[in-house]
Amino acid sequence: MIRTLFLLYGLAVLGGVSLAEYQGWSLNRVDEVLHVPKSVRDNPGSYRSVYGYYHHYTGGK
Amino acid sequence: MSSTGPTPGGPPQVTSLSCPSCGAILTVRSFSHAVTIVCDSCHSILDAQDPRLEVLQKFEAATREVPLIPLGARGTIRGTQYEVIGFQRRTIQVDGTPYSWHEYLLFNPFKGFRYLTEYNGHWNDVSSLRALPEVSPGASTLRYLGETYRHFQTANATTSYVLGEFPWQVRVGETAEVSDYVSPPRVISSENTGKEVTWSMGEYIMGNDLWKAFKLPGQAPVPIGVYENQPSPLRANVKIVWSLVAIFLMALTVLLIGFYSTAQDRQVFSQSYEFDTNVKGEASFVTDVFELTGHTSDVDLSTTANVNNNWIYLNYALINQDTGHAYDFGREVSYYHGYDSDGSWSEGSSHDAVTIPSVPPGNYYLRVEPESDLHRGTIYYTITLKRDVPQITFFGLGALALLVPAGLITWRSMNFEHLRWAESDYGGTPAGGSLENTVESIVDSVKSMGDDE
Repeated sequence: MIRTLFLLYGLAVLGGVSLAEYQGWSLNRVDEVLHVPKSVRDNPGSYRSVYGYYHHYTGGK
Repeated sequence: MSSTGPTPGGPPQVTSLSCPSCGAILTVRSFSHAVTIVCDSCHSILDAQDPRLEVLQKFEAATREVPLIPLGARGTIRGTQYEVIGFQRRTIQVDGTPYSWHEYLLFNPFKGFRYLTEYNGHWNDVSSLRALPEVSPGASTLRYLGETYRHFQTANATTSYVLGEFPWQVRVGETAEVSDYVSPPRVISSENTGKEVTWSMGEYIMGNDLWKAFKLPGQAPVPIGVYENQPSPLRANVKIVWSLVAIFLMALTVLLIGFYSTAQDRQVFSQSYEFDTNVKGEASFVTDVFELTGHTSDVDLSTTANVNNNWIYLNYALINQDTGHAYDFGREVSYYHGYDSDGSWSEGSSHDAVTIPSVPPGNYYLRVEPESDLHRGTIYYTITLKRDVPQITFFGLGALALLVPAGLITWRSMNFEHLRWAESDYGGTPAGGSLENTVESIVDSVKSMGDDE
């Protein structure tokens, strides 16, 4: 019983790792934006990143 | 007094007697083997070999014990039919606390005697040893038929209740030093009465199997706790699971090598830029279009900037020229350093890298919008994009996903052993160490796997 269960579990882990690697999954999350207009190439300022005006660290020790 | 010959296959054959003390009817099932008989009514222990049935002892029982397997019940054990002819309760004192177990004496006229013992629903099938075991110096272990048994407990056991008949001069109150040595599912016990030492071997047996063998109604009592020679249901699992973990880790390594050797890991874009912080106005721009080929996979974007006690923040958007699908993210590159009373220090790095997951093939460009403090001069930076870069993270997570459940099963197995040995003279740690046993079992399983191959 445990042999079968762990065999299936291990195969699922190997399958998951293979799929993640093949598909290029990452633990990083990035926002996806759909339908960005083609005009951005001519006017880059017309697009604003969701990360704009981020409060930047300007420190040092 | 009348008697009939033994016919183990037929109905119980008994000899009828009368108790000289109270007149109650006594039954004798082991015929001439009986040395003492106990009257169920008045608890007189009688000399079965005396024609007048001399009363050897009369004991007071505070509570009347009812054997779970009644006297006279017949059952087949290891292919031989036995009849229950005697029952006794024996008690040891550990730190002032009495612990009692029950012993059932079984008889077959052709095979002789054997015993069943019961403690808290745990049963053992016990028979006498035919050869003496080799006891180690210090008596911490013994060997018998090539198997090592670890000392579990030594205590003085007192007979506190008897019923039925016995092939020896049984007495309530008689004591013997009992030592148990375990190698689950077996236990070897010695009983030292001061006059003689007897050795016996018990093998753990499920109560429900006995209920079937003796055709008893209902279910056997549910065992409580972990018994000294109870086989661990997890020990075999530990071996199996670690064998599979070893195989899967090897497979994972093969996969890692395979993915690292076949991944594109190809640079698709690299360009250097400068950002003049003295100039106000729109700083965003777009790069040339580049092609991401192959199947859906990751893109690794790295930024290197000549920041020196300074920072630059880059709003990135990787945009598919054809579909308008964008991946939006921001990265900061900052590097600070200095010197104070603690010595020199530094924070950050002039390099940053990020992986953008699962990007389909197509024609893409980057929209880049740099930010920094005003009037900090010109910051030079380089953006590099690589396609289909292998990530070791998921291999690490995969290994962890395999090791964690195996570790949990091992921990549970060790906990079972801990519970077993908590009842011993060693209070939780076996003479050889349960961790050592577990590691040994893992090593054995890996070795046997290698042998199989």
